Amino acid sequence: MLKGSNLVKSYGDQKIIDQASLELAPGEISVIIGPSGSGKTSLIRMLSLLEKPDSGQIAVDDYNYSFPLSKQDKFVPPWPKVTVVFQQLFLWPHLTLLQNITLPLAVGKQSVADEKVDEMISLFEMEKFIYRYPNEASLGQKQRAALVRALLLEPKYLLLDEITSSLDVEQIAIILSHLKDLAKRGIGILTVTHLLHFAQEAADRIIFMDGGKIIESGGKEVLSSPKHDRVQKFLSVIESAS
Amino acid sequence: MTIADILFKYQEAFANGLATTFRLALIIWLVGLLGGTLLGILAAKWKVLVGIPSRLTSFVLSGMPILVFLFWLHYPLQSLLGVVIDPFITAAATLSIINVFAVADTIREVLSEFPQQYVTAGQVCGMEPLQILLYIQLPIVLRQSVPVLLMLQVNMLQATLFASLISVNEIFRVAQQINSQIYKPVEIYTALGILFLAICLPMNGLALWLKAKFTRNLSER
Repeated sequence: MLKGSNLVKSYGDQKIIDQASLELAPGEISVIIGPSGSGKTSLIRMLSLLEKPDSGQIAVDDYNYSFPLSKQDKFVPPWPKVTVVFQQLFLWPHLTLLQNITLPLAVGKQSVADEKVDEMISLFEMEKFIYRYPNEASLGQKQRAALVRALLLEPKYLLLDEITSSLDVEQIAIILSHLKDLAKRGIGILTVTHLLHFAQEAADRIIFMDGGKIIESGGKEVLSSPKHDRVQKFLSVIESAS
Repeated sequence: MTIADILFKYQEAFANGLATTFRLALIIWLVGLLGGTLLGILAAKWKVLVGIPSRLTSFVLSGMPILVFLFWLHYPLQSLLGVVIDPFITAAATLSIINVFAVADTIREVLSEFPQQYVTAGQVCGMEPLQILLYIQLPIVLRQSVPVLLMLQVNMLQATLFASLISVNEIFRVAQQINSQIYKPVEIYTALGILFLAICLPMNGLALWLKAKFTRNLSER
């Protein structure tokens, strides 16, 4: 279980995350929705321990982190057991997409067969551009590469920040089906998206954030019959816009 | 007397001049690249303590012509200190100082602008700090800085000619001395020009090639 409890993060006087608590069970897909600047990405960065909360607790299975960390605490990074695919992708510019995918495997502790790499490349239809450098690839191609890089690490918890933002409908469908497949294999997936139909299709749990707080969370009924006014307003704006 | 005749007749003088030029350049390159890289790393790491004084010195140096700085170190400073230093050492020190700060500026800028997200990507992929340094940071930093540093070193090689003005017997001064004896300025200075082109153009070409091949857009599209 990946669990965050009472997480708080401030920059100056501004609270970015305000008493946020959530759980991600292995095999579960949770989707975070909410307006821009609501703290979705910050929450992902905190749960992946890339950014440390001012206060609160994070548990990765049996390992507990209590914040603020005391000077005696040795920080044990949870990566790649918990890994992240960012909206900006962060592919290394001096390496081809194939090298981007295989470098963490080549230098890391994971042993993944070449066949598995080929299988993933084929699954995401990357054969035609796998030898391109990131600056020669389209955003959609780079997004697939970033996702495959994370998937090959076989994480237990996969955190995704708006990774479908530049994909076409077909590619979103491929990713959706793959995420469901990963969840069936026991990987916990937490994803931020602005695509409500993606959330509707993928999610076991929907989390709505605004102003750094988790306003409402629950099953798919959060999308169909939200309890909170703010969620209703957000959904109605999205629906009228689409 | 043709260029070949002149080169043949004064081959020993030219060879000595060339050797002095290369000795001078080698010292400037080594001190500049090693010292500048170290200073640049320190300046990027301790922005206030090292970075600001380093940038300030570099800014002041950039406003001073090399020749004025060289002459100032050669005449007024030595006169003030009451010492006489070998012109070769003065020239090597002057150009090394300039090179150190120019290299440091390049290294500091590349390091300061290094996109932290590439390190983050390595971390979440489970890579160790040393692996991130070796496989991600270092290759990117080298690709960004080597072409610039190479062109800078070509400029420093060309700047060694100023040493002739404080009586260092490098190639330009040798050429001047020979010309004063036989007065063949067209042949002598053409030969000198060709010599520098033969050395500097390949280095500049290599820098441009490296830049085109390895310097990639680091921004996320």
